[in-house]
Amino acid sequence: MKSDMGLIVKTTARATIPLIGIFGAYVVSHGHLTPGGGFQGGATIAGAGILFLIAFGFGEMRKRYDHHIYSALEGLGGLVFLGMAMLGLGVAFFYNTLWHSGPFFDGQPGTLLSAGYLPIMNLAVGLKVFAGLISAMVAIAAYRRWKE
Amino acid sequence: MIAPEFFYAAVIVMIGAFLALLRVFFGPSVPDRVVGVDTLNTLIVAGMVLLGAAYDRTIYIDIAIVYALLSYVGTLAIAKYLQGGLR
Repeated sequence: MKSDMGLIVKTTARATIPLIGIFGAYVVSHGHLTPGGGFQGGATIAGAGILFLIAFGFGEMRKRYDHHIYSALEGLGGLVFLGMAMLGLGVAFFYNTLWHSGPFFDGQPGTLLSAGYLPIMNLAVGLKVFAGLISAMVAIAAYRRWKE
Repeated sequence: MIAPEFFYAAVIVMIGAFLALLRVFFGPSVPDRVVGVDTLNTLIVAGMVLLGAAYDRTIYIDIAIVYALLSYVGTLAIAKYLQGGLR
């Protein structure tokens, strides 16, 4: 299947997609320190996927997209979020036991490894949002082709 | 601490953004409006950076970077649609 974007767009996309992905990972992992967080970072990384879909066409996307893997990743994101919420169930639901008496993620406030379960929850939400948005975009792009 | 000169620069950028918005409103054809929106995106990024400098907050620059990257994707999507859609 021929993609109809020109050479300039494809080359720019090759340079820009890693940049957007790394910046989205930065937004997700620094969600407890800077603006942004799980949803914003996940939507930014999904923007890289949408750029791939636009620049290289649907045929290239279908070769690299596996529905089962993305579905499993989305479920895994939700399960990790729920598992972090259940971690301090001895006190209360959503009790931040990693911050109060945890083995890790209990550093000085303002550093990267602080704030208890918040970085892990941000990673889980980012993974879930990224997988969900990419699945939705590919499903919409494939809609007319489902008849044949 | 608020630096006023960055606010004046942001006001000038805002005047330019209103001129680009006039092209979006009154553009006779669709590509005119797309070029107007693209100009507006760039001017908004410049305004975000200037306001981040005016309020003396480094972390506001992050939002400007995200907006610059994603507005490119949006313009590309409209261009691809006008070119004949996703094939």
